[in-house]
Amino acid sequence: MLIITRRPGEKIMVGDDIVVHVMEIVGNSVRVGIQAPRSIPVYREEIWNAVRDENRAAADAAPQDLPVPSERDA
Amino acid sequence: MSTVTVESSRFGTLEIEADAIIEFPTGLIGLDSRRWTIVGEITDGPFQWLHSIEDPSLALPVTSPWAFFAGYEVALSDEDTARVDAQEDTVVFVTVRAGSELSDFSANLRAPIVISGGRGHQVINETQDAPVRAALFPEVAAETAAA
Repeated sequence: MLIITRRPGEKIMVGDDIVVHVMEIVGNSVRVGIQAPRSIPVYREEIWNAVRDENRAAADAAPQDLPVPSERDA
Repeated sequence: MSTVTVESSRFGTLEIEADAIIEFPTGLIGLDSRRWTIVGEITDGPFQWLHSIEDPSLALPVTSPWAFFAGYEVALSDEDTARVDAQEDTVVFVTVRAGSELSDFSANLRAPIVISGGRGHQVINETQDAPVRAALFPEVAAETAAA
């Protein structure tokens, strides 16, 4: 891991196309702007983790696990 | 028309027509596949399967969110809106987490799958009320909780 110190207003380049902009620091929060090519989605880590977990859990299902419509009326 | 054959671990031999292949340029979050197809018809019931073309054992049950959540809304960031590039043929699915009981079934309303023009994207729904795990059968879940 690369660890560097930046002040508000300074930026970080990741490769040639991704810019991480340290915009402001308020209390214990840092506002960060990220410019990335459309081909690279940017996620908050906790959302990325939650969606990954749901995707993997969904992929565990077998066809017989799903209810048939009549079962819902039972 | 040319077809692709997938020896599905769940469904046996699938002949997928070329125009039924959906390219996901950035894949699905945490799953290593870029080419998928939909198995099953809307008329078969509420559930279809998003099935990988590249990994014959990789498939997720999906449903139309509006089959279960009539008031469901999707709000996308400008970046996701541009990425999705919605056309007239746009369809929206949500992934389904199966459970041992109906009360355990849920859908991921936070990260719908938007398919348009033969391309698919799993996007982040910015709407406030879009849980990652929304009960599919809340009436059953409520009965279970009350019992």
